[in-house]
Amino acid sequence: MANDTALLDSAGTISEAQLAELGWTLKPEGLCQDDTCVLIPDRDAIVSDAGLDLTVLGDLLDRPVAIDTEAGLAAVGAPRAARRRALDELVAPDFTLPNLVGGGVTSLSDHRSKKRLLIAFSSW
Amino acid sequence: MAEGITYPVVVDADHVVTELYAISNVPTVVLINEDDTIAMPNWSAYGSDLFSEFTGVDSGRQHDRIRRWVREGDAGMSTAEAIGVVGDLSSEEEAARLHFRLALALRDRGDQAGCDRNFDRAAELAPEDWTIRRAMMPLRGQDPFGENFMALYADWKANGSPYHGVRGY
Repeated sequence: MANDTALLDSAGTISEAQLAELGWTLKPEGLCQDDTCVLIPDRDAIVSDAGLDLTVLGDLLDRPVAIDTEAGLAAVGAPRAARRRALDELVAPDFTLPNLVGGGVTSLSDHRSKKRLLIAFSSW
Repeated sequence: MAEGITYPVVVDADHVVTELYAISNVPTVVLINEDDTIAMPNWSAYGSDLFSEFTGVDSGRQHDRIRRWVREGDAGMSTAEAIGVVGDLSSEEEAARLHFRLALALRDRGDQAGCDRNFDRAAELAPEDWTIRRAMMPLRGQDPFGENFMALYADWKANGSPYHGVRGY
């Protein structure tokens, strides 16, 4: 889903298979997702023998990246565009999360065409 | 009180919604129209007056506002007012959410040192974000209503009670 976040086993670089987990493919014309391609200004900044540089990829895809090099684990956030559209254009970002009971998941978009009261709460 | 209403409850362990909507504390309420536009962005609204001594909020007025929106489509805030009223996350607050997720994942893997390292980093990056600071308390054996909470509350008040959203509605 477009607003997914990801955790990847990585100390700074990722494989093309991991890039696919993020929903993108490396092609001669750039980083591609469906019909969309992001041009790569400097391919050497991304591609090396070690793999694809996750920080540079994050910048290109406008997604935040945090890497714990010691644990070899990286977190990739959702595309920033989703939040910007919420704040600047008042478009509610879709999300999909597991139900508290009964299994399965619920998406905000499951209830499209209805008014939705979204309550973020915590039981602490 | 309305009866016979059912609604989905979902669990957001990784706090994805706080990243997508720039939420920094709970409860935060968002009113979303039929066409996916936001009628009322991040709003500090309450189900009851249980915390009104703390918050100074009259929840009954807020419920009236919600009813008016449901029935008449008027959330009481114009589009011009709503645009940009919620401040974006800083890059530090954004990164704090990722370190929070790393901490949870490393905790699940039994890497306690890695978990602590990432919780510490998240707290350092977003010292006044309740979805980071208070949320990690029970995960670190601290009481989210205890001493650490009171200290965080005092610091947050002293710094002008920062909140990504609308108050006073």
